[in-house]
Amino acid sequence: MQSTMSYTARFDENNQEIVLAGSIRPKGADELAELRKTFDRAIQATRGTLYLNAKRLVQLNNAGFQEITNFVKSAGLQKPNLKITVITSSYVGWSLRKFSLLQKIGSNVTVEQYDKDFYPGQSVLEDSGFIPILRTQTKMTWRHERDLLPRHGLKPAMAVADICCGIGDFAALVYKEFQPSRLLAIDHSKPSLAYARKVASDFHIEGIEYVHGDAANLLVEDNEFDFVTCRHSLQVFDRPELILKELFRICKPGGRVYITNEKNSHCLGEPRADSIQWTYNEVARLWAHFKMDIELGPKSRRFLLDAGFDDVQVESFMVTNRDGDPQDFADVIASWEDVYAGQMAVQRGDTAEFIARFRQGFQDHISAALHPKGYAGWPIWAASARKPR
Amino acid sequence: MQPVNHEAPAGRVLDIAMATHLFASDWAYCDQMATYAAALVSQRRADSLRYANLFSSVLNELLETVFRQHHPHGEIACRIFRGEPHDRIELTIPCDASTRAFYESAMVDASSPDVAEKYLSSLLDNAISDPRIGLLELAADYRAQLSLVENAGDTLTLVVDIIIDDSAI
Repeated sequence: MQSTMSYTARFDENNQEIVLAGSIRPKGADELAELRKTFDRAIQATRGTLYLNAKRLVQLNNAGFQEITNFVKSAGLQKPNLKITVITSSYVGWSLRKFSLLQKIGSNVTVEQYDKDFYPGQSVLEDSGFIPILRTQTKMTWRHERDLLPRHGLKPAMAVADICCGIGDFAALVYKEFQPSRLLAIDHSKPSLAYARKVASDFHIEGIEYVHGDAANLLVEDNEFDFVTCRHSLQVFDRPELILKELFRICKPGGRVYITNEKNSHCLGEPRADSIQWTYNEVARLWAHFKMDIELGPKSRRFLLDAGFDDVQVESFMVTNRDGDPQDFADVIASWEDVYAGQMAVQRGDTAEFIARFRQGFQDHISAALHPKGYAGWPIWAASARKPR
Repeated sequence: MQPVNHEAPAGRVLDIAMATHLFASDWAYCDQMATYAAALVSQRRADSLRYANLFSSVLNELLETVFRQHHPHGEIACRIFRGEPHDRIELTIPCDASTRAFYESAMVDASSPDVAEKYLSSLLDNAISDPRIGLLELAADYRAQLSLVENAGDTLTLVVDIIIDDSAI
């Protein structure tokens, strides 16, 4: 249970930003001396625009809010030209509404809602047409992960959080296979969550909490989960260390965090190996252009150690056309071609010649998957680590 | 005294009772009770974390109001009902004449058409914190319906019917 005053207020001079986090519920202003000092220092040190970042401010009572209104009023008196921009989060239901009242103080105050900018290139993945492919991908990886997860520490009756749960199919499979005591599944995409809830309802699964949230600013208390999963997601963020920091925070000491990521340049196939390899090397470059790292898989160990975990375990597995129906594999590659060659390469401004060659590698991968003597693979790195006690 | 506007929702999900002197001994109880109750009543909501966060904000403001404005003897009881479309919080508190007068006056302000202006004024203009501020916020920002019920034995019940905004879920 959070205490009434478990908050932090930090002024970052380089960014001219005050970052508020936690819960501010004082009885009176006299309890907020440290906050006032931070505000005063920020006013003195800032020119132009001062940012008040309240993305991770989970609770704020009216006594605390009055202190913030006093700060804004005081800033206007001391530096009439100072602009104040308040950054709120859409995941904290009261935040935008409450902070918008500050705009009544003066025209130098603006209030913005942060969220979308954190997810570069993901709008395409939220396209509802992409959902069947995501389900197929999970079906293919689950064959491996069902056996692999216990090796990484997942056991029945654990409290589990699936961060960046997407359409929620992995959470549903974990729920059925491992019967967790609690399963919280969080994603920033409302269409994905709506789909996840519908699937859970259709399958009469009632034990999963599907929640709208930001992986880098979770509304979850510290040390709450025995096992935290985050699959195929660090690779789509330009700042994966921020996500890992949150995964670390919400994991219980002694609990484990489990992540999966790809190294797309290692996708392979026979026949036509060279064409396939060329295309997937280009996929890696394309993702890097959009500030995403589809090569992150083997870097998992470093990321986990840098985040403060220990007892890191890393293994890789290869999803292939020999797992189940080869057509499933072919369908996944076809969807990649649509997104990578049909949308992202076009968006980058690639030439028609490049895109034609780029598409050919995907087509060759599909041919390899469906060829009676062919072999096609998609490697994935699964890593887990323990939060020290 | 205003009439209660709605039938009490059928689903009573939580009862908390506490001696008033104990409740009033530590400000942190407001936050702790609000957080605890919110975690319980948010189960099986469309978005449990979002609901719990908003519900905790609402209940905390109510409890902080009661912390500041109550008669020191007797028991405080909090009952939470789950209904459709609104949920209900009932806070029964011991009261004397001045306590009753405060809540009756606050109810008038909370139900006035310019409650948003009253809340803003309370927030921005007052150097000393206005004890009505939490009730005004609930009426202005959460569109809660607040009413009082007079009970036998010098207690009154503050009734709050509220629809937690799930438009962003």
